[in-house]
Amino acid sequence: MDALGSRFERFLAAVEPDRAGRVIACEAITGGYSRISARARVRWRGGAEETFILRGDPPPGSGVFTSDRDAEWDLLAALPAATSVSTPVTRWYDRSGAYLGSKAIVMDCAAAVSLQDQMARAADAGRLADLFVDTFAAVHQTPLDRLPARMPRPTDGPAYLDGVLANYDRMAGAYPGSAPVLRYVTWWARAHQPPPVPLGLVHGDCQPSNVLVGPSGPPLVIDWEFAHIGDPREDLGYYTQIPLEPNVYWADPERFLRRYRAATHLTEDQVNRQVVEYFLIIGMAALLEQLLAAAAAIGDAERPGILAPYLVNAISHQYGMFLAICDRLS
Amino acid sequence: MITRPTTDMLIEDCCRELMEGILPGLTDETLRLRLVMTETVLRNAAVRAAHEIAWMREETAALLAYAGRVAARHGSEPLRATLADAEAGPADSHLADTEAGPADSHLADTEAGPADSLHLADVADVYERAGQAFAAALAAAQQAGDADLVAQARELLRDRIATEKEVMATYAVVGR
Repeated sequence: MDALGSRFERFLAAVEPDRAGRVIACEAITGGYSRISARARVRWRGGAEETFILRGDPPPGSGVFTSDRDAEWDLLAALPAATSVSTPVTRWYDRSGAYLGSKAIVMDCAAAVSLQDQMARAADAGRLADLFVDTFAAVHQTPLDRLPARMPRPTDGPAYLDGVLANYDRMAGAYPGSAPVLRYVTWWARAHQPPPVPLGLVHGDCQPSNVLVGPSGPPLVIDWEFAHIGDPREDLGYYTQIPLEPNVYWADPERFLRRYRAATHLTEDQVNRQVVEYFLIIGMAALLEQLLAAAAAIGDAERPGILAPYLVNAISHQYGMFLAICDRLS
Repeated sequence: MITRPTTDMLIEDCCRELMEGILPGLTDETLRLRLVMTETVLRNAAVRAAHEIAWMREETAALLAYAGRVAARHGSEPLRATLADAEAGPADSHLADTEAGPADSHLADTEAGPADSLHLADVADVYERAGQAFAAALAAAQQAGDADLVAQARELLRDRIATEKEVMATYAVVGR
């Protein structure tokens, strides 16, 4: 058992002092770009065992993507009463990081596999694609008044879009090397705004890898760290650039969008292939800013780690996508 | 200076060492992943080392030429000022920093360096200024509704992305 396992055991002693929890296994879960995740098996007094997921911030100054763990905890606490979508069962939160080394959320480990894995194994992913669409359509229709009050609330869809484009302008000013592409794309995006839709809960990392499916019960949507109130079409645009195969949007875009429109009652003017492409630009804004900030920090005394230089390529990749979208939709 | 191996060759040799000599001996999955990422970064750096000064100089010339064309047609005072700033060369020349003695250090801090300096930091500085002049010119062309000049800007950006794709070398977009 590693150091995290020992720390988790001390944490359990604090939050469940009467149960004498012992961590009998603890292993890192690799693959994520942002949080540090681990799976821990705990044996309680009396022999009962449970498995938990620990989801914490990377050490200060390391990593590329940042998000607010307090906000994620608050959202996870609110979601069960707010939405029909199932979310991870949260158990405890090391709010100060005093026990686990950084702020960390502890959740039940679901007996489930990722929808992406299921799609990859399926001979025909159509039914699973429908499940994916329905799940995120439900996320997007979460009543906003049931979400934590601390979540920023734009006044309406157009104001939200204006805000994102203003952020791009700010990024162009802050990162001169990116100014040519960002100024061009922002100008184009202002001139091609799609019809508005009502604001919704945006997951922020919409992909089947963040949907877990078990032998029974509804799918479970995980990784809410980038969730916010915004334009729900951001999630659709974001998903189009996910490279994991199969990408069920690109497998059959019309089927995907028909189903989404039916589930959300949005019109074809509001949700179509061109609009989804447009929202790739909008949906990537926050992550792009974090990539740019990390790239700018390379060489600082407190270096952000190897992921930052590695993802410089992702910036170039995004700019290529953005400009191609401007060309296709002009 | 030893001319061969060139910098890109040295870096590529390090890449081979990492992938063929070190990676097979690593069992920790996280360390393996970090090493593969490091090798990708180094491979990109090798491409950049071989070409980046030439690429930035060429694009700088194209960006400034574009800004000049826009200034001639739709010139505003801020655009002309941005263009003049970019054409003036690096603000704080690397050459000035390294060659100035202690008595000259104040001078080195304040004087503009030679516009044709090939030191990487100077080239990058001029390139960024040219990018800002280009962005200002693009804004002027957009504001004037000059479709021809906007289309020219798009062509320059297409060339920029093509160069960045060359730098990306073996990088493959992976899911997370």
